[in-house]
This record gives sequence, structure tokens and C-alpha cells, in this order.
Amino acid sequence: MQRLAALLPRTGRHRAGLAWALGVLLVAAWTSPAVGISRDESVYFWAAESYATWWSRFLRSPGAALAEADRFFGPNHEHPPLAKTVYGLTHASLSRGLGADHRAGFRAGAFLFAAGLAWLLCLWGWDLAGRGGGLLAPALFFLVPRHFYHAHPAVLDLPLTTLWLATAYAFWRSLLARREGRPPWRAAVATGLLFGAAVATKHTAWFLPPLLLAWWLATHWREVAGGALRNRLRAVPPAFPAMAVLAPMLLVALWPWLWRETVPRFREYLAFHLRHENYPWHYLGTLLREPPFPLSYPFVVTALTVPAASLAAMAGGFLQSAARIVQALRRRAEAVDVRLESLLLVNALFPIALIAWPTVPIFGGVKHWLPAMPFLALLGARALVTAARLLAPSAPARVGAALAAAALLPATWQVQHTHPFGTAAYNEMAGGAAGAASLGMQRQFWGDNMAAVLPALNQHAAAGARVWFQEATWLAVTAYQRDGVLRGDLRWANGAEDADISIWHYHQEFRDREFLTWTAFGTARPVTGAYLDEVPLVQVYARPGAWR
Amino acid sequence: MSRPHYLGPTYRLGSEPPPEEPKGIRRAWKRLQPRLWPLRARHGAAFLAAAVAGLGLHGLLFMARLPGRLPTGLDWRAAAALVERDARPGDAVALAPVWAERAREVLPEKLPAFKGAPLVVMAYPRYPLAVEDLVGVRRVWLLSLPEAPGADRTIARDLEARSTGRDGPQRLGAIEVTRYDLRTPVLPLAFLPDRLTSARVRLGDAPCPVRPDGAFRCPGPPWLRVAREVREVDLLPRPCLHAHPGPDPGAPLTIEFSEVPMGRVLRGHTGIVAEAALRGSSPVSLTVKVDGEELGAAQEPPRKPGWHAFEMETTRFAGSRRTLAFAIAAPDSGARWFCFDAMTLP
Repeated sequence: MQRLAALLPRTGRHRAGLAWALGVLLVAAWTSPAVGISRDESVYFWAAESYATWWSRFLRSPGAALAEADRFFGPNHEHPPLAKTVYGLTHASLSRGLGADHRAGFRAGAFLFAAGLAWLLCLWGWDLAGRGGGLLAPALFFLVPRHFYHAHPAVLDLPLTTLWLATAYAFWRSLLARREGRPPWRAAVATGLLFGAAVATKHTAWFLPPLLLAWWLATHWREVAGGALRNRLRAVPPAFPAMAVLAPMLLVALWPWLWRETVPRFREYLAFHLRHENYPWHYLGTLLREPPFPLSYPFVVTALTVPAASLAAMAGGFLQSAARIVQALRRRAEAVDVRLESLLLVNALFPIALIAWPTVPIFGGVKHWLPAMPFLALLGARALVTAARLLAPSAPARVGAALAAAALLPATWQVQHTHPFGTAAYNEMAGGAAGAASLGMQRQFWGDNMAAVLPALNQHAAAGARVWFQEATWLAVTAYQRDGVLRGDLRWANGAEDADISIWHYHQEFRDREFLTWTAFGTARPVTGAYLDEVPLVQVYARPGAWR
Repeated sequence: MSRPHYLGPTYRLGSEPPPEEPKGIRRAWKRLQPRLWPLRARHGAAFLAAAVAGLGLHGLLFMARLPGRLPTGLDWRAAAALVERDARPGDAVALAPVWAERAREVLPEKLPAFKGAPLVVMAYPRYPLAVEDLVGVRRVWLLSLPEAPGADRTIARDLEARSTGRDGPQRLGAIEVTRYDLRTPVLPLAFLPDRLTSARVRLGDAPCPVRPDGAFRCPGPPWLRVAREVREVDLLPRPCLHAHPGPDPGAPLTIEFSEVPMGRVLRGHTGIVAEAALRGSSPVSLTVKVDGEELGAAQEPPRKPGWHAFEMETTRFAGSRRTLAFAIAAPDSGARWFCFDAMTLP
């Protein structure tokens, strides 16, 4: 027991962080089987297995493996490999090694990223507002249905969010160390490596250095504007050169696809994202297809998806931080650290503002500005703790607990209610899924809600039936079959005409697929479906005789 | 025993009477004012706490009330049983809100008591006469979820406005069932998409043979076909004749219906299917001939999604049976997934 205790972190904040991380890991693993395989995730499964196979070959026979790098890293080379490599390694360890099902094996890597995010939120929340901040910040983040959903699939958005927060935290620690006269190099190197991991996860991370640089110039302009050049150069935080040097090295080191024709391939990768196509997206009754997209989009979607009381806490935290800056600038609040406040604010705002830019693609909903949400959770947690201290100086814990309960109980209920349909979740301000459907909001995306009808499909589909899976990819279908979630005798159909069964995923822009099914099957009556608050997400049609 | 003062009766200068104490709201405001102004951090904290507590309570109430606002399986089955029992040929079902399409899963497609007469389930956002013909429908059963979040009475008002009377609403759990009797039902003498099997189709002069599935296949690429389908036009389902124009504008795709009972009007709609409505740059022309004589033409404009109505006067043919030919052509046939319907009306 003593040995076990010795393994535990020594400080309370780290213990709380560890508890949060373990909690998130276990809950994500427990609730994961109900979450279907999304389009992107199916591709990442395929890529992850390929990358992990290559690394194991590389360790055994580097020379031979190098010749095969292009073949193994060809799958999904439009996205960098880190998260997928982690998924491949957890899959190799848990599924191949210990016999866990394949989906759980890949997703274990995603749970680790989610756990890491919980830990970081607890640490930074603790730094900002003590124990209450440490306990509340992860809760405010993960008890949002869409965020909770993103803790499950082996995709790139939550890992990027974790690494964005980690980079910003390490960057801040490096500045703090310098200010306090401690050597900043450790934190600076960590910043460089974490940023490298972020760009090796998703291209969005490339926005971090300009953001941090702009923030630093704005908050340190006195040090930059005057004095000798030598002093000015000395003022530059070591985290910047660390990011500039270490990140590209790490990106290339982790991505063997870039080991040949590095520059042209890097250009190809960037070009893919600079010229990304726009998918149709339903927003307030209009099917948005091409830019310019409305500026309001990410703000409205955030307001309609984050549980209202949690959102109020986050908004309150944002305003509190802005007010603290104003107070400090008026020299009315000496203790306020304007730099920290502004760092939190710009990180909370920038990812949302980026998507608000009218020419930036908007498909994917909140996942594209997910990196902002941990910062809003941190600010919200601090705001609740501060409010409790101000309102009840003699019993802040009790009032804080009451406020936390007011914010988190409805949020927890919503998470439980909408799981596993995270991409279809809307808050009470929208009126839930039903209200959002009436408002004409995007009903779902990614094709993973099909998992809800698979038990019925397994039970009723005729032997050897040909199924038109529509939004679910062939890779997702084979992944389901490999795990025994979908019957192996069911075959892939390319359209309504050659299908016996058609699985319609509600997407406004694809409605012709449903009507084609009516024509081909001679019926407009589904045999089963998946509904959230009576709103159809997936409906299954069958030819006469194909559904027993 | 006290005696009077030797200076006589005491005399004091009168003082100002004390100000009258404010009462009611003014008194409360006087006490509250120093606490409210100037603004301090405490005020912000109180406001945040009130907002979080209020919204938290609202969130809990919303979640607690939600199941009661939405129909259960039993409610759906009860509504289906009612419609199945009381509906008759010429009836259709409308849904409000439009997303309540679970109804398709529970309602019968055909009415067993009337030799399998079809029961169409409609999920259109609006039902004014100018927007939806409701071809062949005499009565509409509105299945609505009045308590559902986001529900409103727009659809009920539309149906009310074009009805002579209504029966209901009848409440079945969270579902309300109301029957509307349409004032002027659109009852065509002939709805031409339903007559496709007896039509003749040709591309230019080349005949397009009919296939076992009832579609006509013209010589050339596989999309040169004519079929009776339900297709998405401007995001809504439209039963129509899918007839993609051929690549040569000089060789129109012609669909000829013989022995069509004529009335005073030929009415129809044209549209481009699904996302193709946003692609392609060419208009599509639909020329109508009666016994070889041109009656008129409709034109489907490019990049203007919609189910565009056309109407041609046919009084001089009323009461007779004629051959109706529809010729479809486009200067550039790229992405012209053309769909149309047409009907003769008395």
C-alpha cells in the first residue's frame, strides 16, 4: 500500500489531475461501444493500423521498412500521423496483444488524449482558482454533450485540442519561469515538443505560433519597441525558437511520408487544406454550400450546443477576464496578471473567430473550434469559484458547490440523454434535437449514428442481403464486421437499385437518396430507425422479403 | 409639590420636523441603492450566480418535461390505428413539425379496408394552395406534436385556410390528430407520370424501348432514360417523370401519351433534381403538343432551384381524348437532371 502511495503524485493538484484523467479514461472506455464509427474514424483506423505495422517493421528491419514507407503511409496522407500512430500502437497492444475488440483498441489512444486534456484542465484550473478551479474546469468541458462525444472516436479533433492547450500551458510556464528568475528552458523545450506534436496531429495547430507571437508582441511591446537590439533579442521567449526548431523536426521525424520529396509533399499537404472543398451544411433553415458563410455561425452553434448554465459560466468567465484586464489597465487592480488574462482570452476567442471568417469551411460543427472550449472552461471554472468567494466569504465551498451543481446537473443530464448521438446534440436553448430540427439546424454528420440500427439489421436482414449503407464508409462497415457488431454475410451495395436494404442517414443535402430508395423499393415506409427526441437520424428501408 | 419656574413657562425654539420616512418601494430602493451602485465585483458575481442558477433550473425543467412533450410508441400506434380505421381513398397525412417522420414507420402505406388504396404521408413545410397542389387529395389528416420544442401552428393554419371544415383535434397522448376536408381538391383527369407505362418515348427519331422496371432507356449514355420516380427537387420529394435531355438540342427527348382525357387546363411543374440544380448552366425547355399542334412551352431556368409551376389553357380540347407530347431539350445537357409532372384538369 505504501509503495502504491509512493507512486501517487505528491501535490494535491496533481492527484486531482490524475483522478480526473483516470475518471475520463474509464467513463470514455465504458461508454464507447455505443458510439458508432464515423466516416473519418474509419479512415483513421485503416491508416493507424498501416502506420503501426510500418513502425514495427522499421524497428525490426529499418532498411526494408524505409523502402515501403510510401505504401504504409499513403493512407490518409492529407493529415499528419501522430494521433493515428498512437491509435495504431494502442490497437497493436490491446487488440492484437490482449484480444480487445479492434474498435476499443484504436480508441484507447483517443481516451488517453481525453485523459490528458482532463489532467491539464485540472492543473491549469487549480493554478487559476485553487482546488475549485481544478475540479470544475474538466467538468465544465467534458459535461457538454458534443465534447463528451469527442472523447470517444479515434479522430483528430480532441487530440489537437489537448495539444493546443498543452502547448499554451507550457508556453505560459516558460514565460512564468523566466519572470520568476528560474531557467525557462525546460518549459520552452516542452513547448516546442508539444507544438510539434500538435502540428503532427492536425494542420490547425499551425495557427498557434502566429497567435502566440501576436499576443506576445501586444503584451510585451515595451520590451520589443525600445532598447538595444541585443536586449530586444534577449526579450524573445525561448519557447519561440524551440517551437520553430523542434516542431518541424518532430513533424518530419514522426511522418515517414515526408522523408522523401519533403518539400513537394509538404506543399501538397498544405495545398489540400488551403483548397479544402466545402460540404453543404444546414444552418437556421438554409443549406450553406459556398462562402461567404455567416459570421454568426460558430457563435450561434456554440450557444445552441453548450448547456445553457455551463455556457453562462463560460461567458461570465470571459467577461470577468476582460473586466480584470480593464481594471488592471486603469491601475485599479495591481494583482491582476494582464498577460495571463489576455493569453486565456485570445485562446478562448481565436479558434471561434477563425471559423467565423466567412471563407473558412464550416462543416463539422463545434469540432472545428474545439480548441477554444478548454479555455472557456478554465475561465468559467474560475468565474464560478470567484463568484462563490465574493458572495459568501465565510462559506465559499458551499456556495461554489451549489453553483457547480446548478451548472453541471442539467449538463450531465443532457450528456446522458444524448449519448451516443453526440453530433446530433443541441441544448435546451435550441429546444434539444427537436427544437434544433424545427430551427433547421444540421441534424448530424459523420454517419456514425448508424450504429444504433445495427442490432435490428443483424436480427432482421435476410441472409446475404445487399445493404446500401450511404453515409457509412466501406471501411466502417468492414470494421463493424471485424468486431462482430455487423453480420458478416451482409454485402455492400452501391445504390438503391442494387440494394435490398437502404440505410438513410438524415442529411438535408442527400434527401434524393431517400427518395430514390422509395422509388427503387416501391415503399416509403421505413422498417426501423434511430431517433433522438423523436427526430429521425437514421431510417432503414427494405425491399419486400429482405426484412424478416 | 412642584412649583412653576420663576421665569415663567419654559420656551424652546422650534426645530425642523424630521423628514418623512419614505415608504414602500421608495424605502426599499433607498436601502438597496448603496448596495447596487457603484458597481463592484460582487454585483458581477451575483449576476453570474443568478444566471447560472436560473439557467440551470431551466435546463433541469426542460429535461424533466421533455419526455412528456414527445409522443411515446403507444401514442404513435394509437394515431396510426385511428387513421387506419377512419381514412378512405383520397386521404393523405400531413406531419407537423415536418421532422416528425417517425410517422412513416408506424402509419400504413395502404388502407386495407379499401382494397389497398394508398395513404400518402406528406412532410412539406407549407401547404397553401399556391404552393402545394396536393394532387388527388380530398382530405388531409394532420398529425401534429403540439408540445414538441419548436412546434408551431403554421401548417395547421395553411390547411385550415384551404378547408371547408375540420374534424378534431383529437388528442392521443402527445399527438394531435385533426382531419381537414379540402375546399377545392385538385382532382386531375389524368396525372401523366402515372401513365408512363403506356407512353411512347423517343430521342430525336430513335425509339427508347421500355424496360421491365417500367423505365424507358434511350440509345446513348445510361442517364438517357425516362422513369417515373420520386426525386428531390429543392429539398422536397416530388413524384415526377425524370427525363434527362439528350446531348443534341436538335434531337429532343419526346414523351408521347395517347388517349389523354382533356379538360380546361394542363398544369404541371418543372425542376432540376438535387444538387444538379446548382450546377449546369443551361435552361431546359419543355414543349407541349396536342395532336401534333404546339400548345405552349415551359422553361426551367438554370441555377434556380424550385418546383416551378406552368399552366396551359386547353378549353378547346375539353371533353375529348387527345395525344399529348412533351419534348425536352437543352442547349447544353450537362447536369440537367430534369424532372416534371403534368396533369389535365377539368
